[in-house]
Amino acid sequence: MRWPRGWADSSAAQNPTNTPSPNRVMTTTGSITSSRSLSYIALFAALMAVFGLIPKVDLPFGVPITLQSLGVMLAGCLLGSRRGFFAIALFLLAVALGLPLLPGGRGGLAVFVAPAGGFLFGWMFGAFACGLLMRRMAGATGKGLLAAAFFASVVGGIVVVYAFGIVGLSLIAHMSLTQAALAMLVFIPGDLIKCGICAMLVQTVMRGMPSWRLDRD
Amino acid sequence: MCASAPRPSGASAVRSLYSSHPTWMHALPAWVKLAVLSVCGTLLVLVERPVHLSIACIVVLLLFASLGRTAWLRMRMLVGIAIGCALIVGFHWFLGTTWLGVASALRLASAAVLALMLTLTTRFEDLLAVLETVMRPLQRFGVPTERIALGIGLMLRFAENFYVQWQRLDDAYRARAGHGGGLRLLAPLTIRTLQTAERVADALAARLGR
Repeated sequence: MRWPRGWADSSAAQNPTNTPSPNRVMTTTGSITSSRSLSYIALFAALMAVFGLIPKVDLPFGVPITLQSLGVMLAGCLLGSRRGFFAIALFLLAVALGLPLLPGGRGGLAVFVAPAGGFLFGWMFGAFACGLLMRRMAGATGKGLLAAAFFASVVGGIVVVYAFGIVGLSLIAHMSLTQAALAMLVFIPGDLIKCGICAMLVQTVMRGMPSWRLDRD
Repeated sequence: MCASAPRPSGASAVRSLYSSHPTWMHALPAWVKLAVLSVCGTLLVLVERPVHLSIACIVVLLLFASLGRTAWLRMRMLVGIAIGCALIVGFHWFLGTTWLGVASALRLASAAVLALMLTLTTRFEDLLAVLETVMRPLQRFGVPTERIALGIGLMLRFAENFYVQWQRLDDAYRARAGHGGGLRLLAPLTIRTLQTAERVADALAARLGR
């Protein structure tokens, strides 16, 4: 990992060649309820919805395989912690209101008490953690950025999300925490692939849109 | 989508799911349909037995058929749902839990068709108005409810926009290479949608201020 400590916080102030372009000024992190934030929050909530339209497969104990965890990682990495959190929250609100946006066309309040319900809450905090980590490492470039985004998505999208998911599963399906954790192992390889895809997409965005900021709070 | 380049004519008819051809379901108020959808969606998750689920599925399909011409025009969407269901059943058959798969597939089919009917027969603005009314009491606690309703509205429009953008990129790729772009389009798609969001953000900031 090549980025120096504290790089993200000080780069703008200390690097005189890094003059803010007009674009940069426009993407300034403002209030969380600002209309500008709203557009990005809605975009990533929409991404979650699109991933939800892809058919799911149920494993026997009732936790579906889904692409939506990729959406969680992307929201955290690209939007920052608070906006990422609210993007997932907005999506979950739409689900709770009955829109069938979870894989398999599920929606309504019942999904929050289903065996996988813990994951839904975990998504919000997972995106938040991704954003926090990405912000710490926002100055990384090239392979360093790839590694940074991968690391952020592993911690946020796997560790945090699964912590919530495992607790939820053990509460609802009456399993011990160890049993629940073991049951989750099946998903880890798939999720690692998703972390890789997320890292590549973050790198792509930074190449194609240099004005995009990874250091949002 | 409001901030994207002008749509090619004809495309909008395909992409906006709302059908202007009136049916009996168009006449029902949006809040009634939304309430029924929420209740049915919740019930479907609770029902486990394939027999009950297949009854539910048949009822839903009959309702869909009762929409007449509108339903007939959207037959293609049912095919998509059917393929999804077949995949699920196939996977569970492979795992030896066929009945679980059948139950999931029936649940998916019923929920998807119910939601499809809502989308076909309800103007989006009407849906949004219902959400805003439902959430109005929260304003007392300082929740910016009109922003939440706007956010949900934007979310649904963006979801549609993903598809439009993908289609456009795929068409362009097809014109150049003679075959579809597949996963290669992921990078341009990501950047395009982010740019769209940026333009929408500008437009919103200009209109709403802040």
